Amino acid sequence: MESKLREIRERVLGELAKAESSAALEQIRVGVLGKKGELTALLRGMGKLPPEERPKAGQRVNEVRAELEGALEAKGEEIKAREKAARLEAEAVDVTLPGPARGAGSLHPMNIALERMIDIFVGMGYEVVEGPEVEYDHYNFELLNLPKNHPARDAQDTFYIDDNIVLRTHTSPVQARIMTTRKPPIRIVCPGRVYRADEADATHSPVFHQMEGLVIDENITMGDLKGTLDEFARQMYGEGIRTRFRPSFFPFTEPSAEVDLTCANCHGEGCRMCKGTGWIEVLGAGMVNPKVLDMCGIDSKKYSGFAFGMGVERIALLKYNIPNLRYLYENDLRFLTQYR
Amino acid sequence: MKVPMKWLKEYVDIDLSAEEYAARMVMTGTAVEGVEKTGEQFDHVVVGYVVSCVDHPNSDHLHLCMVDVGAGEPVQIVCGAPNVHAGMRVAAALDGAHLPGGVKIKKSKMRGEISNGMLCSGPELDIPAGLYPHIGDEGILEIFEDAAPGTDVKEVFGLGDDVIDFEILANRPDCLSVWGLARESSAVLEKHFVMPEIAVEETGAGRFEDYATVRVLDDDACRRYCARVITNVKIGPSPKWMREYLYGAGVRPINNIVDITNFVMLETGQPMHAFDLSKVRDQTIVVRRARPGEKLTTLDGKEHVLDETMLVIADHDNATGLAGIMGGEESEIVDGTVSVLFESAAFERANNRITARKLGMRTEASGRFEKGVNPDGSLEALERACMLVNMLECGDVVPGAFDHYPNPIPPRTIEAEVSRICRRNGVDVPGEQMEDILNRLYIDTTLAGGVLTCEIPSFRQDMETDADVAEEVLRMYGYDHIPSTLMNAVTMPGFRGEKMRFNDRVKAALVGMNLYEILNYSFISPKWIDSLGLPADDPRRDTVALRNPLGEDTSVMRTTLVPSMLSTLAFNLNRGNADARLFELSKTFAPAKQPGELPEEKSALCIGMTGEGVDFYAIRDAAVWLLAKFGVTAAISAGGDGYYHPGRKAVLTVDGVQVAELGEIHPDVAARFEIDRRVYLAEVDLDALRPMEKPLYGVKPLPKFPAVTRDLALVVDESVGAGTMLETIRKAAKNLEEVRVFDVYRGDKLGAGRKSVAYALTFRAADRTLTDQEIASAMEKILRSVSETYGAELRA
Repeated sequence: MESKLREIRERVLGELAKAESSAALEQIRVGVLGKKGELTALLRGMGKLPPEERPKAGQRVNEVRAELEGALEAKGEEIKAREKAARLEAEAVDVTLPGPARGAGSLHPMNIALERMIDIFVGMGYEVVEGPEVEYDHYNFELLNLPKNHPARDAQDTFYIDDNIVLRTHTSPVQARIMTTRKPPIRIVCPGRVYRADEADATHSPVFHQMEGLVIDENITMGDLKGTLDEFARQMYGEGIRTRFRPSFFPFTEPSAEVDLTCANCHGEGCRMCKGTGWIEVLGAGMVNPKVLDMCGIDSKKYSGFAFGMGVERIALLKYNIPNLRYLYENDLRFLTQYR
Repeated sequence: MKVPMKWLKEYVDIDLSAEEYAARMVMTGTAVEGVEKTGEQFDHVVVGYVVSCVDHPNSDHLHLCMVDVGAGEPVQIVCGAPNVHAGMRVAAALDGAHLPGGVKIKKSKMRGEISNGMLCSGPELDIPAGLYPHIGDEGILEIFEDAAPGTDVKEVFGLGDDVIDFEILANRPDCLSVWGLARESSAVLEKHFVMPEIAVEETGAGRFEDYATVRVLDDDACRRYCARVITNVKIGPSPKWMREYLYGAGVRPINNIVDITNFVMLETGQPMHAFDLSKVRDQTIVVRRARPGEKLTTLDGKEHVLDETMLVIADHDNATGLAGIMGGEESEIVDGTVSVLFESAAFERANNRITARKLGMRTEASGRFEKGVNPDGSLEALERACMLVNMLECGDVVPGAFDHYPNPIPPRTIEAEVSRICRRNGVDVPGEQMEDILNRLYIDTTLAGGVLTCEIPSFRQDMETDADVAEEVLRMYGYDHIPSTLMNAVTMPGFRGEKMRFNDRVKAALVGMNLYEILNYSFISPKWIDSLGLPADDPRRDTVALRNPLGEDTSVMRTTLVPSMLSTLAFNLNRGNADARLFELSKTFAPAKQPGELPEEKSALCIGMTGEGVDFYAIRDAAVWLLAKFGVTAAISAGGDGYYHPGRKAVLTVDGVQVAELGEIHPDVAARFEIDRRVYLAEVDLDALRPMEKPLYGVKPLPKFPAVTRDLALVVDESVGAGTMLETIRKAAKNLEEVRVFDVYRGDKLGAGRKSVAYALTFRAADRTLTDQEIASAMEKILRSVSETYGAELRA
């Protein structure tokens, strides 16, 4: 019996060493440990042994059985690991296989720029206010010191609905609406669509967007205006971008300024974009004309303020180096899909 | 306004280059469009002396000329002009010369003979006859001046001067003149401004009254009227210097009298008019308002019907000219004119502007009057004109001037506190320096006790308050001295309005659905709205129209975003962009309910899709998902506007309120927008959606008990909506956590017009495990309900 046991052990261990699949392993297990297996048969044959030998013989068989079970299990683990590795390897995919074309979806580039502009001013404590696009002449012009038949109106070719209602030519009427209804301190920006009777070309559009800013408080200075716009320029276009103020005229501000920014393309060195000047004209600004404050019911002796107005398309054109304003209103997907 | 540097330098000593000077002016508030040179249209053209001229051996019309161009030996130039002959001075374009129209001259062979350049005609150099009298003559240009060969012809023609193109802003009409700009320049450059001394020699006989009568009947619209008479007028060309100045300023020289009026206008800013006095009936000039319906033919040959607000220049009976806009044909200066009446008047700006607008006329004079002409300068300008008549010796100035100026401009004083100016500007400038700056600007200013007292000169009507004084100080002190400070003020909350935030979130959701935002004009063609085929009484046909549109295509404010979207889809399809997923969020405009009120502006959204993988369900689900993003579940039902496909359109409603409409565009409508493919649109009423949003608050507890699932396949008529039946199922049973459709089947076994819809149902109770019996009873209720409502049968 001992020899039989030894023979079984040797043979099974030999078979196990050669086994390569879970199925082969199972066959071995059934052959030796199954109900009709060899070791099971040996145990059953114990009854034929003398009773005094039985415990020892039983112990031997169980020893071998435990050993073989352990070996089977170890081999099983090994085969499973190998099989899993093989399966995972077989599952490999071509990670470079191009997928179906799918755009990312995007806001319009004008609005991408506008969002950024709004964020910058919200961060500086400005409330965002909107107003009607079809506006009374009163708010669009008269309250801004542009009385009827004033030649300065010529600077803004106006679309009229009737004698008293126009398509707003700038976002400034929102200022006028706020000044006539609120008390200082006021700190607002007003983005939105504006309209001018200009034929569309590379730099003009009859419909475009502006963002107006207005601050009214005690002791507001032209320096504060410059500081604010410097901060805007820095956040919008990056470090090293500064403003340059040139004297100008707007009926609703006094003093008034045209504001240039350092050309972001050449950082002020002078290039084709800035026509060699190192500066790009971007917006108009100034100290709110005391006449405007008085007309809107704000005491110009006590309060002062500044206002600025910028063309959003212009800011976007400069920010994203867009060569032609027409691109913005054609909505060609080959253009739009370049944004994200 | 274009001004030759030479002209400016007559009155102020500018010792800078044109570019440096322009930069100084820009940084002190006088905008400059550009710096040019007269005669830039050509170069390398010199005076040539034709030494000899013989016929070309191989041509019956060409000549071989030996021309002395001041470079040693004469050079051979082939010329075809019949008038070329030996001994004449000509304009010779040399090898490498550029001529107007992009012509480049090169040494070449013409029929076997070398030609070293070209002899030019007047038109080839693009110089007006008024500048150089012989320029318009036939053939090549003959130069009569005794100029040495090789001299640049620009010197002969008086070209080559720097011209500054100023952009004068509306507040500074005084700078629409050489004197005004010279005065401004003198303040900027801290140089003296020297006006010519004005003295008229009255060499004519008699007095003004002997020759003419002027009556001004309207002092409101005519603030000042000055006139003088010139007799023994000799019309002829004006001198070279005057022609050069005019040409440089962009004005065509005509004859001495007309040139004097233009010269004085440019120099002083005061528009002038010259009448041929013999053609003025009864030698009487009446300044009055027009009679209603009065007719007038102006110099340009146009007939106008006038109204009683318009100011005219008239004789005893009839209007002969539009005051300050355009004169009449009859009294125009002609070659035979012998007596002249000069008019120098100040017409009121608003009246002038309104008249010019009404008649659709805009002239140099009207442009100046509407910006404001200083009445205090009218007489001075008239005297300057007469002085030029003396100088040009082209007539005798009759003693005495007519001058009607009933209401002189009152003097104006502005008091400005130095400290307030500093505060406003954010720059500390000492009071003494302010005083100096203002005086330099010809604003008589004295400083006392920290207050500047400024006497505003009559040419600075733009100055009204101390803020204007602050600006004058700051611009002369230098805007580059403004410090960069952040305001020292109360902290305020920065935020966006709710409506804007909502719209931003809508856009973010749509971008997340792989859609691209587009922008279209707010005004469209009314034809586009017609193309939608809306019923006659549809409110979207009632548009807000522009009174002065750029064209019909952009003449009405849009009441719907649909046409713009269809047009954009068509544009992209046309450009080969076959897959388009777009949206536009913008306003629509409806006429005001009450007259005089503003139109109603609404926030609208339109989604447009076409291309691979896009079908009705894609557009519908884009709308459904958008609503879901705001916690809104809408009922979907077939229906919608006629511009959608009748079988592929739906409306989304919430408690009976329509929030969206969508579907495939009707092929007929698509065709009207030149679209030959299936395109899908969704319109969402954002003003309706916004208040429906479910706020984000609280969560349902997560389930503790197991779910039970059952499938249910129901056979119904095609007309029964799977989604509609789903709602019925949902309502029929308790503890039904979720129902979804997982299969729709049609087949012969079911019979024509029938379909099987398979639902997956999930039951769960919050407080216990459901029993089989409870499930069975729920299923039974569901089956009964769908069978009663739709005649649904369990699929065998």
